[in-house]
Amino acid sequence: MTTMPVQYYLLGAFALITIGFYCLITRRNMIRLVIAIDILSNAAHLMFIVFSSSAKPGFTQPLAHALVIISMAMDGCVVAVALALVMLAYRRYGTRDVRQLRKLRW
Amino acid sequence: MGPLPIDFSPPINILLLGALATPIARALSSRLGKAAAQGCAIVALILSGASLYPLYQAVRAGPLSLVPADCEPSPLAACLSIDLMGILVASVAILLGIAAAVYSTRYRESEGSDAEYYALLLLMVAGMVGVGFSADFLTFFVFWEIMSVASYVLVAFESESAEPIEAGLKYAIMSAAGNISLLLGIALLYGLTGTLNFAYIAQAFKAEAATAAQDIWQLVALALILVGFGTKAAIVPFHTWLPDAHPAAPSPISAMLSGGLIKAGAYGLIRICTVIFFPLSRVWQPALLLLALLTMFTGNLLALMQDDLKRLLAFSSIAQIGYIVFGLATGTSDGLTGSLFHILNHALAKGLLFLCAGAFLYATGTRRIRDLCGMAKQMPVLGTIFTLGMLAIAGLPGLNVFMSEMWIIRAGIEAEQFLPTMLLIFNVLLSVVYYLRTIQVIVVGRPTTTVAEARPVPAAMLAPMAVLAGLCLVIGLYPDPFIRFASQAAATTWHGSAYLAALPTGGMAR
Repeated sequence: MTTMPVQYYLLGAFALITIGFYCLITRRNMIRLVIAIDILSNAAHLMFIVFSSSAKPGFTQPLAHALVIISMAMDGCVVAVALALVMLAYRRYGTRDVRQLRKLRW
Repeated sequence: MGPLPIDFSPPINILLLGALATPIARALSSRLGKAAAQGCAIVALILSGASLYPLYQAVRAGPLSLVPADCEPSPLAACLSIDLMGILVASVAILLGIAAAVYSTRYRESEGSDAEYYALLLLMVAGMVGVGFSADFLTFFVFWEIMSVASYVLVAFESESAEPIEAGLKYAIMSAAGNISLLLGIALLYGLTGTLNFAYIAQAFKAEAATAAQDIWQLVALALILVGFGTKAAIVPFHTWLPDAHPAAPSPISAMLSGGLIKAGAYGLIRICTVIFFPLSRVWQPALLLLALLTMFTGNLLALMQDDLKRLLAFSSIAQIGYIVFGLATGTSDGLTGSLFHILNHALAKGLLFLCAGAFLYATGTRRIRDLCGMAKQMPVLGTIFTLGMLAIAGLPGLNVFMSEMWIIRAGIEAEQFLPTMLLIFNVLLSVVYYLRTIQVIVVGRPTTTVAEARPVPAAMLAPMAVLAGLCLVIGLYPDPFIRFASQAAATTWHGSAYLAALPTGGMAR
C-alpha cells in the first residue's frame, strides 16, 4: 500500500490557512469572519493529525487526537458565542457588515 | 477515599465545582433568589483562595507535579506542574475574583441573570488558575480556551446597549484568531518534538544543537506563539481589541480583564520564553524589547488624549504590559523578578482603579472625566481610594508600583540596555502627566451638577476597593516578603531549571 507523503497534507493545511486568513482580513460580513475562524482552526487540527501519524510509520500517537477532539468542542463554543453576538448586532443594526458598526473608535 | 477520577489540584477543583453549583443554587432556592448564586460564588472563590495556601507551603520546596491517577509520567501524559510563578498568577486571579464577586453583588443589582454571570466569572478565574498550573500544552490550551470563552461572554454581558455587543464581537474575533495562531504554533512544536509536555519539549530543544532546517521551524513556531500570547496580552500590533473591550465590559469584569486576563497572556509569554525557547533567547530578547517599547509608547501616547476614564485606564494597561514585557526582555533573572512583581502590583492597582471607575459610573452614570469633576469632594472616601490608586499606578515612591518599576529599570541598566531603559523611564514620567491630570480634575475641581446629584456608593462596593488600596499601601511600605517571593519565583522559572529537574523521576506522582 502506498501512502501519500506528509508534505501534501501540510500543503493542504497551508492552503486552508491561506484561505482562512484571506477571508478574515478581506470579508466584511460578520458571519464570514466566523467561518474564517472555523477554517483556520480546522487547518490547525489537520496539522496535528498529520504530525501525529507521521512521526513513526505505522503508528499513530493518540495525544494529538485527544487535543483535536477537545479543541473541536471548544471551537464549537467559540463559534456559538460569536454567532450569538453577530445575531445581537444584527438585531440592533439590521446589517451584517462589520464596517457599519460605528460605535467603536480606534 | 481514593483519588478523584479528575483532579486538577484543589483550587481549580473548587472553582469548577462552584461554577457548576452556582446555577443550581440559584435555581433551587427561589426564596433566597440572587443571594444564593452570589453566596455560592463568593464562598467558592474564598475556599479556593484558602486551598492555595497549603499548596504554596508544599511548592516552596520545589515544583509539584500532578499526573492523573494510575499513570506514569511520560511525554504523552497530560499533567499539572505547580511552581511559585503559577501560585503567583493563581493568587492574583483569585484575589481579584473575590474582589470582583463581592463588588458585583451591589454593582449589578438592577440586572438579572446572576447565575450565568457568577458561573462565568468562576470559570474565567478557574481558567486563569489552570493556565498558571498546567505543564503541558493540552491542559494549557483547554484552560486557555475556557478563560477566553468565558471572557467573550462577560465582555458582552450588558447586551441591552450597543457598545458591549460591538466590543464583544471585535474581541471575540480577534482573540479567537490569536488563539488559533497559538494552536498552530503548538502544532508545529508537536511536529518538531512529538510531545506536548513543556519539560520534554524543552529537553528536546536543548538536546538538538538546532540543525539549520529545524531552527527555522522553531522560529516560525515561536513567532506564531508570540502572536497568540501577544493578542491576549495586548502587545502593540495586536492591542486594538483592548481599548474597546475594557470600557464596554461591566466594571468588575474590566478589573478582571486588566488585572488577570492580560496578565495570563504575559504569563504565557514568560513561561514559554523561559522554559521552551530559552536556547533561542538571542532571537526573542531583541524582538520583545522592541515590542515592549512600541507597546508602552502607544499606550501612553494614546492615553494622553482620552476623555473617557475607563478608556484611559485601558490604554494605561497597554503601557503597563509594555513594562512587564520589558522586564522579561532584559533577559536576566532580576528583570523577570521585576516583571512578576509588576504583574502583582499592576493587578492590584489597576483592579482598584477599574472598580473605582465602576463606582463613579454607578453613582453618576457617566465615565467622562470632565463630568466627574469634583467627585472627591462629593464622596471623600471613594475619592481618597481613587487618589491612592492613581498615585500608586503613577509610581509614587512608597506605593507598590514604584518598587516593581524600580526593579525593572535596575535590571535594564544591569543588562546594559541603556537606551531602552532611558525610553522606559521617559515613558514612566510621561504617564504621570495623565494620571496627575485625572487626579486634578477629580479631586481639585468644583463639583458639576451630575456629581452633586450622585447617589451614595454602598459598602459592599467600597469594601473590596478598600482592601485592594490597603494592599497597595502595604506592599509599597513593606515590599520585602513580596519581592522575595517574586525573586524566588523568577529564580525557579529562569532556564526552566525546575521543570527539567523534575523530569527524570517525573516529580511526585499522586
